Amino acid sequence: MPFACLFVPDFPIQAIVRLEPELRGKPVTVFAGAPPLTKVFAANDAARKLGVTASMTKMQAEAFIGIEWRWRSLSQEATAQAALFDCAWTISPRVEDGRWNKEEELPDTVVLDIAGCEKLFGSPEKIARDLERVARSAGLEANVAAAGNLSAAICAAHGFPGVAVIPAGEESRWIGSLSLEALRIPLEFVGTLKRWGIYTCAQFAALPEVAVVERLGQEGRRWQRLAQGCGERPLIAKDFPDEFEECMELESPVELLESLLFILNRLLEQIYARLRMHVLATNEIKVTLTLQKEDARKKDALLHIRTLRLPVATKEGKFLLKLLQLDLEAHPPSAPVTAVRIAAIPTTARSRQLGLFLPLSPDPARLEITLARIQSAVGEGRVGSPALLDTHRPNAFMQNRFELREMTLQHAAAERTATAAMRLYRPPLPASMEFQKEKLFCLSCEGVRRQVLAFAGPWRTKGDWWSETSWARDEWDVEIPALRPKFQPTPEEIRQEETALYRIYKDLRTKRWFVEGIYD
Amino acid sequence: MKYVELHACSAFSFLEGASRPEDLAARAAELRLPAMALLDRDGVYGAPRFHLIAKTAGIRAHVGAEISVEGFGNRAGFQPWMPNPPAPRPVRLALLAKNRAGYQNLCRLITRYKLREKEKGTGTAARKEIAEHAKGLVCLTGGEEGPLTASLANGGEEQARKSVEELVALFGKKNVYVELQRHFDPLEEHRNQAAIRIAETLRLPLLATNGVRYAYTHEREILDVFTCLRNYCKLDTAGRLLERNDERHLRSADEMAQLFSDLPQAITNTAELSARLNYSLADLGYEFPRYPVDADETMDSFLRKRTEEGFRNRYAPKNDADLYARAERQVQRELALIEKLHLAGYFLIVWDIIRFCREQNILVQGRGSAANSAVCYSLGITAVDPVGMELLFERFLSEERGEWPDIDLDLPSGDQREKAIQYVYQRYGRLGAAMTANVITYRGRSAAREVGKVLGFDQEMTDQLSTLVNSGEWRSPADNLGNQFQQAGFDLDHPRVRKYWELCERIQDLPRHLGQHSGGMVICEGQLDSVVPLEPATMPGRVVVQWDKEDCADMGIIKVDLLGLGMMAVLEDCLELIPQHYGAPIDLAQLPADDLLTYETMRRADTVGMFQIESRAQMSSLPRNAPAKFYDLVVQVAIIRPGPIVGKMMHPYMRRRQGREPVSYAHPSLEPILKRTLGVPLFQEQLLRMAMVAANFSGGEAEDLRRAMGFKRSERRMKEIEVRLRQGMTQNGIRAETQEEIITQISSFARYGFPESHAASFALIAYASAYLKVHYLAAFTAALLNNQPMGFYSAATIVKDAQRHGLRVKPVNILHSEWPCTIEMARDKKGNESQCLRIGFRFVRGLRQTAAEAMIRERQKQIFAGIDDLAHRVPELQKSELVTLGEIGALNPLGETIHRRTALWQVARATRPAGPLLDGIPEQLEILPLQPMTDEERLVADYHGSGMTAGPHPMSYCRTRLAKMNVKRACDLAHTPDGQYTRVAGCVIARQRPGTAKGFVFLSLEDETGIANIILNPDFYEENRLIINREKFLRVEGILQNQDNVISIKASRVAPVSITAAETESHDYH
Repeated sequence: MPFACLFVPDFPIQAIVRLEPELRGKPVTVFAGAPPLTKVFAANDAARKLGVTASMTKMQAEAFIGIEWRWRSLSQEATAQAALFDCAWTISPRVEDGRWNKEEELPDTVVLDIAGCEKLFGSPEKIARDLERVARSAGLEANVAAAGNLSAAICAAHGFPGVAVIPAGEESRWIGSLSLEALRIPLEFVGTLKRWGIYTCAQFAALPEVAVVERLGQEGRRWQRLAQGCGERPLIAKDFPDEFEECMELESPVELLESLLFILNRLLEQIYARLRMHVLATNEIKVTLTLQKEDARKKDALLHIRTLRLPVATKEGKFLLKLLQLDLEAHPPSAPVTAVRIAAIPTTARSRQLGLFLPLSPDPARLEITLARIQSAVGEGRVGSPALLDTHRPNAFMQNRFELREMTLQHAAAERTATAAMRLYRPPLPASMEFQKEKLFCLSCEGVRRQVLAFAGPWRTKGDWWSETSWARDEWDVEIPALRPKFQPTPEEIRQEETALYRIYKDLRTKRWFVEGIYD
Repeated sequence: MKYVELHACSAFSFLEGASRPEDLAARAAELRLPAMALLDRDGVYGAPRFHLIAKTAGIRAHVGAEISVEGFGNRAGFQPWMPNPPAPRPVRLALLAKNRAGYQNLCRLITRYKLREKEKGTGTAARKEIAEHAKGLVCLTGGEEGPLTASLANGGEEQARKSVEELVALFGKKNVYVELQRHFDPLEEHRNQAAIRIAETLRLPLLATNGVRYAYTHEREILDVFTCLRNYCKLDTAGRLLERNDERHLRSADEMAQLFSDLPQAITNTAELSARLNYSLADLGYEFPRYPVDADETMDSFLRKRTEEGFRNRYAPKNDADLYARAERQVQRELALIEKLHLAGYFLIVWDIIRFCREQNILVQGRGSAANSAVCYSLGITAVDPVGMELLFERFLSEERGEWPDIDLDLPSGDQREKAIQYVYQRYGRLGAAMTANVITYRGRSAAREVGKVLGFDQEMTDQLSTLVNSGEWRSPADNLGNQFQQAGFDLDHPRVRKYWELCERIQDLPRHLGQHSGGMVICEGQLDSVVPLEPATMPGRVVVQWDKEDCADMGIIKVDLLGLGMMAVLEDCLELIPQHYGAPIDLAQLPADDLLTYETMRRADTVGMFQIESRAQMSSLPRNAPAKFYDLVVQVAIIRPGPIVGKMMHPYMRRRQGREPVSYAHPSLEPILKRTLGVPLFQEQLLRMAMVAANFSGGEAEDLRRAMGFKRSERRMKEIEVRLRQGMTQNGIRAETQEEIITQISSFARYGFPESHAASFALIAYASAYLKVHYLAAFTAALLNNQPMGFYSAATIVKDAQRHGLRVKPVNILHSEWPCTIEMARDKKGNESQCLRIGFRFVRGLRQTAAEAMIRERQKQIFAGIDDLAHRVPELQKSELVTLGEIGALNPLGETIHRRTALWQVARATRPAGPLLDGIPEQLEILPLQPMTDEERLVADYHGSGMTAGPHPMSYCRTRLAKMNVKRACDLAHTPDGQYTRVAGCVIARQRPGTAKGFVFLSLEDETGIANIILNPDFYEENRLIINREKFLRVEGILQNQDNVISIKASRVAPVSITAAETESHDYH
């Protein structure tokens, strides 16, 4: 009896209910999709009985009275899956994700090798009951099946509710009583089989093997073996998680950054030691600091999470520690830290051959530290490379992450035309405008009033009328005596009255005026 | 200061303009613009509508177009440093017609490059072609689509100057205007300044326009939606493809003067140029072609001879001297009028088409108002004797009306009609004849789908919505778009959903693209392309004019409708099948006139498949009307129409017909007119005659009245005519209350009423179809099935109906079926040989005709030894096709022990290549592991694979169970007393909600014995909407009504009933 399988029906619902136990027993529906494209993604039995079906719109589902609804949470599903793995790991170290098609199926199945566990945990039935109990304690109502082979265990978990222990040699009979859907084979196959009048696994299993291969190919044979309760596939144990994690529960809460950095340094050293063993580096580090709770009644932990993403993979613990220090200085935790968890996403180490005649580019690690320093000085989201957005909206640009391009030899640039440049005031300066004969006359801004000497405009833009972010404004370019004097004017400039060209605009929705920038 | 907008595009620029031409003209009138020019993209699509509305609004409508040209580079794109540059598009020249020569040149130029284009909307005019057609045209340098902008962007001011010089060389100095537009865009102003400098140096006049794309500012939103549809993107991602602001609307003279206060000459030049544009569409120069006759003949004399020949052939055999004399007088009167109106050529051309069809054995029949003409009857254009039936000629042609007559020819749909169409092209040349266009506009469903797409709603949701829109004619107050949105699960409180809904409403009726009218052809003396531009149609070998049928009629272009009628094709097929399988040929013109069996069948309302009298409403009225002669059938065809129903004429007629109400007349003078219809006006001709007799209208005036009350009804004109009607009736001494009654009668159904001539033409076909069904059921059913989809019922219902009438129907068979359904001779149980129907491969879902034909060819060479042999010898057959054939039992004859599952089992092996080593090795297995299909599985497979079953009706399998539940069969209802609470069940074959039935819904439930009719009142329907619309099999309970043998059940309970999972079909809300 070497394999057991845990399967969580209505997984998206259960992933939520395990964190909100008060929903247990109630009709629950999970929505997915951004509004107004929201649809029912999953519904539990109680909700289905009321008439809710998958792919109903949110509005249709909400018309049913007494239904609790939640948004689909991938992170909760991921943690539910992790919890499911944890359940399995309580019995056996050899655990595998039990999905045939990992991209299309939900992460609701886990299979484990229980060979040799009898001495530790008892009979397969006891192990199955233990697994069910452990899963329940983790908040998951799982079907548990134990069988002589991996595939039979998975099929049985999908097909039989509760606990099912298939005695050795009985796999074929047990699985045979299931419908084809329990096999989770592609719908196209199911369609063909149903056309043949085959509705159960037993009927499928009874077909002559050669004939099945002739008609459905080797894949068909594989599915038939499943229906026969046979399993050829070995369990491929999950050897290590996708991320390297280290964590430390602190005996007493830590308040000072220096002390915290000491702990962080030790954890990073461990992670890097493990990474080095696998000849790996990391380009993403996630630090989760569990904070001391002010209100002990709160169940959920208060976390302070910082993620550092690096442009290049690194194996340098010290460099990362410096980055972490800068980041935590800019974003200190709001309460003393009680636990620290660091997760590193592993990646292959970077290797690059530099060209002999190429100019030396800055060291990426040092550049990253420099950028981090600038960011801690000017604020988050204010460092990067601007990229224009495709819209008529004024000032529409996005901030891309600044990345150092590979240096190449550059030839002399082609002829460049001079263009006027404008310095934008961020935020724009509120102003007011006086008119004379329906023309711009005087601009008041920052407490000074300036006569408009010349102007061009208005230039009108209106857009995004279909959304809540619609805009409409009129712009002018105006020449007025300078609002702010030059820092060090030359004697000639002092003698002349200093004028400047400004871009001003009127927000047509709020009817307010602004000075947006000054032309150089 | 006067201003004329000389550069405007309408929605007929297809996705590049957002207002209809009518709305632009109306807005121009509102803004008091004295004139306006419409320049649509690559065509003059909207010009007729613009012209007509402008005329009534009192503004001058100039004609022009934006022409895509090559040799001037591509349109200026966005700055190179900006992201997502759009695809390159050619520059467009804005051209205005100065005179008729200019208009003709414009039409020819467009036709030239349009006919050349390989993909719709991609044609461009070559520089040489522009030079050839420049005479009479004025060129504007254009806005952002124009050559000036393009060359400024591509090569700077010098290049721009050169391109303007080139325009001057092409069109002449006086005919080039430097166009300025101001939409509050700095880049545009930068271009304007360069344009002003260029105009100064070349001494060219400046011209202000607003590059109008819509009438009102808010219509910019529609234009943005169109832009997304054109570029296959969503509003959220369209970026700078969208409008920068909403300034491209029509502006008043004051606004424009203010906008161009620094350049007043640009405004004054618009009025000056407008004064130079002397052309309007009133001066179209259209001429109908002459029919070629010998030198010693004129068209009139030739027509007279042909008419007299035909007249003798038609009337002499009738042996009725009085009729002959009356007909002769009528023909002479008509010929005189035709001569006076110079219409002989038109009649001869139609006669020529008829002659061609006869020579080619193509069944053809004229209908519509042409059947009012004795000349048409004599020439063989129509088959209804207008003199014998006392039809009104003025309905067809009148001197006063000054309109061209309209002749519709019904032809068998499909290849035969195409032959006739190609004959017309061949006779008058590719540039002498063309199909009229059909402007496809945004309707409920298309609007819901496309707007949803643009706003980013997913396909599933928009599909859900579009299935809810437009279902059925009847609109209850709850059937508005808002409710449909809610039913589809949209939250109208969400701003984006609200915008979706709003845009769907606003986009309705705007042109989407140009299609081809089903049969309208226009023909022209000389070159049609100088009257209206021509375009290639999607169908190869066809060209289409840029105007639709109505526009052509409004512009006085004569058209001949060559319409495809499914039933004509059925009759034609019958003419071929009957001699083959019944021994003797039949002649449709010589069918027995009063066949008792045919009329008896009609009176029983046993009319599934018969032309025009098979609908549920027709079936309900047939037992009451009880047709016994041909004229009864004419009435029958005409009476189930919105006109008589809305005008409340149907029930009085039926009561009088049954003798339950005395026949009376509103006024004694109306008796001769209304006698045949028992004092109730049913036909348009009667309406005209009533006006003529009661109010002294002339024939032309009466026809005017009909038109005034027709589709394009105008309140003002109706009032005017009503006053004249009353005056006339007062003169004739008709009392006020009688006047009121007559006016109500006239106005209530003028809009929808059916012309008697039209009804008579249809009745002829209806009678022929009924006669053939009654006497040649196998041939008629085969022909009907081979011309599906047509008519009111699905193929499954037609087959079941034929089976109930004793026809043996054999299923699809790989060894015997052909592509169409065929007739086979077979012995029945008594040993008598009779015709039976073999279902053809055309009903096998997913089976391609080419594959079926390849299989038939191979079968003729040698019979198939088995399924392996079939799959091996016919590689054209794909796996899915073989699976479907196996599933419906078509492969069973390929072996003695083969049943459907065996076939599927063998197909699965035969279609999976085993490789060269194992190929050809027969299967070792001798015992088949699969069970034969059960009855239910067979039903499911039949309906899934062919949409029908040749076996028993699904209901028959459950009859015992249903009988225990007290469910009656359809055939039992005739013996059930009126008023008894009754329970029936059946497969829903039709759901209807006619616009005239005040929200009542009608269901037809079919069982193995016939069809039961169910009536659902509106409230009951709303309560049970989901069950009624979703379930395929229903059990209905209610009071049985049997009124004059019209049997129906007024539903008081409805429930789904589990019969089969087969995918039966219902013909709903059409």
